[in-house]
Amino acid sequence: MSKGSYPTKHQRNALILSIIPGLGQLYHKQYLKGISFLVLAASFFIVFRDLLNMGLWGLITLGEKPFRDHSVFLLVEGILALIVVVFGLGFYLFNLRDAYKNGQKRDEGERLSNIKEQYRNLIDNGFPYLIMSPGFLLLVFVVIFPILFVVLLAFTNYDLYHSPPAKLVDWVGFKNFLDIFKIDIWRQTFFSVLGWTLVWTFVATTFQVALGVFLAIIVNQKDVKGKAIIRTVFILPWAVPAFVSILVFAGMFNETFGTINKDIIAFFGIEPIKWMTEPLYTRIALIMIQSWLGFPFIFAMTTGVLQSIPEELYEAATVDGASSFQKFKNITLPLVLFATAPILITQYTFNFNNFNLIYLFNGGGPALPGSNAGGTDILISWIYRLTMTSAQYSKAAAITMLLSLIVISVALWQFKRTKSFQEEDMM
Amino acid sequence: MANAIIEFKSVTKQYDNDPPVLDDVSFEIERGKFYTLLGPSGCGKTTILRLIAGFTEASDGEIYFNNKITNHVPANKRQVNTVFQDYALFPHLNVFENVAFGLRIKKMKNAEIEQKVKEALSFVNLEGYENREIREMSGGQRQRVAIARAIVNEPEVILLDEPLSALDLKLRTEMQYELRELQRRLGITFIFVTHDQEEALAMSDEIFVINKGKIQQSGTPTDIYDEPINRFVADFIGESNIVTGKMVQDQLVEMVGKRFECVDGGFQSNEPVEIVIRPEDLEITTVERGKLQVKVDSQLFRGVHYEISSYDQDGNEWLVHSTKKAVVGEEIGLYFDPEAIHVMRFNETEEEFDKRLEAYTDGSGHGK
Repeated sequence: MSKGSYPTKHQRNALILSIIPGLGQLYHKQYLKGISFLVLAASFFIVFRDLLNMGLWGLITLGEKPFRDHSVFLLVEGILALIVVVFGLGFYLFNLRDAYKNGQKRDEGERLSNIKEQYRNLIDNGFPYLIMSPGFLLLVFVVIFPILFVVLLAFTNYDLYHSPPAKLVDWVGFKNFLDIFKIDIWRQTFFSVLGWTLVWTFVATTFQVALGVFLAIIVNQKDVKGKAIIRTVFILPWAVPAFVSILVFAGMFNETFGTINKDIIAFFGIEPIKWMTEPLYTRIALIMIQSWLGFPFIFAMTTGVLQSIPEELYEAATVDGASSFQKFKNITLPLVLFATAPILITQYTFNFNNFNLIYLFNGGGPALPGSNAGGTDILISWIYRLTMTSAQYSKAAAITMLLSLIVISVALWQFKRTKSFQEEDMM
Repeated sequence: MANAIIEFKSVTKQYDNDPPVLDDVSFEIERGKFYTLLGPSGCGKTTILRLIAGFTEASDGEIYFNNKITNHVPANKRQVNTVFQDYALFPHLNVFENVAFGLRIKKMKNAEIEQKVKEALSFVNLEGYENREIREMSGGQRQRVAIARAIVNEPEVILLDEPLSALDLKLRTEMQYELRELQRRLGITFIFVTHDQEEALAMSDEIFVINKGKIQQSGTPTDIYDEPINRFVADFIGESNIVTGKMVQDQLVEMVGKRFECVDGGFQSNEPVEIVIRPEDLEITTVERGKLQVKVDSQLFRGVHYEISSYDQDGNEWLVHSTKKAVVGEEIGLYFDPEAIHVMRFNETEEEFDKRLEAYTDGSGHGK
């Protein structure tokens, strides 16, 4: 039966009536539901009228008079208004759909559920949503709200010279993004920071992974005695809170008082190295520290994987005459990488955003002439510097978006490529 | 023996001061036959396999391969390949690469590898599966890949370590036929380890029944089934009714207070013995016609037959396989031929057992 071939037109009527929420339900003689929809819709408008009015106006104009209008607050109110509108629309669509569906039922001659059944229905089918809703609301205000704020901020000129309440903030479209690529100092800084971020991510992570895997394989050899103790010692760097270790390292690398320059290097008769003032040395120190901090986790994980590789695989390879190195290359390494690939990716993304180490070790420094980022600043610490020290809020927001773009796309691409996400029973 | 490809001479395997896993074991394996090492878990059968493969070394005794002592030859230098229990296929390589693994290690040319792998795969009926990933293969197919990987190296002996235990019943039966067939076609020696007596009986030319690190009995499947040497073998191979009795004289045995005619001989008079009668050799009949009178205790329908458990007046259990149904709780008679009785001496070695059989049976044999 095609639509509209029914003798009655309840479906259409209810849909049209439901343009005012509740009327469609009343038309279906579902009085309680209809009245509550009406009341809900009315109260929505009464309660939120001002917020919507003010918020949407503020969102569009970002204020018209300095001192009276605070642009950032208006932006926040605007986002809240947007969220409220989305909720309202959701409710409205639900109301339309409900009226339409019930109309269809009536057209087909089916009985509509009575109040008791509706209640049951709500409790049964709506239960998961009911349970989810507090978490969902929290999510909206804790995650989605700030993300929206940053995204919108990236399209304003909010910085030191456009700071409310004395000045207004304005929408500037893509100007921030264009500036980053067009203005020399921004472009140079952006690409040098991006370059170092990539080098840092790649080198530091690869070092820590290689070190962890290497040590795990060595310790896992059959004839190594005292495995438990060796493993415990190797896990220790993981057990100490990272920021404590970093601060201790920062002290050790101090150029004049640090034990590395004063004792260790001096012992070999080498001149003190400028760990904190020469960007290259700071970078080397950072990579060494991160390897030290990061390898225990890889070590522990690889040890677990190694122990789950069946001995028979090695025996089969022995029969075929494989040498120890061939066994390592053809069996151990591929299996370890297979099993740990997803976690290795998270290691790379972790270091990409490893703010702690960069900031705590040398504050992203040493400072570089002709650049508004420090010599070891990675994107994330540069953003911090822009917001906290030079009040370049809108630029920082724009860079944040660029950074997220990189992280998200790399992660997606890698996750899809890795076989570990397609198959579950590798071993 | 000239035809022996593998020979164990008084081989013992012992870890530290534990009781030996293998205790003074000697046997010979002939070229081109299908051997089965049969025994319960922990009996030492896998240890024998690992000794042959070279994964472990004997504590004592000599192992000969083609009449050359091979105790210390490394695994890859032996003309032996193993099919492992869980196949030990490399999960990150596809079927072709799994089979080619050994050849690649030997740095063979690509064209040659391709030809050999194709040949090996066609031997196990896996043509066209070269590019499949291992995880896409079913249990039976993985099994065949494992066999292909073993035969591609053209070994003289293939060792199979309970390779069928992970398969379901139907597939297992199918693979039994296939393995047997493959062994005939290849003409190389298979040494098969299992704890499944049916598998052993169905596939082997020769079975070694092993228990507690010693070979209990070796022989063809029929030999071992019809003439088990002792209680362990009788019990392990197939279902059996075992009762104690005594040999009044040759060809006359006493059990459950009655004397029965039998065909065994070579005993001292009134020697205490154990008597085996297979459940399928017992026939249900009336109480009057039966040689034994028993009371039916329980009954199970097994498909091909009923398995009836019954007890005589001495409390011995008698298991009967019959196509006829019995009534639980009823008294019935059991009839059997003199040939159905098999008498076992206590603590007889295999050598003595064989000698006695040769002397006192005129080839007519027992049972069916």
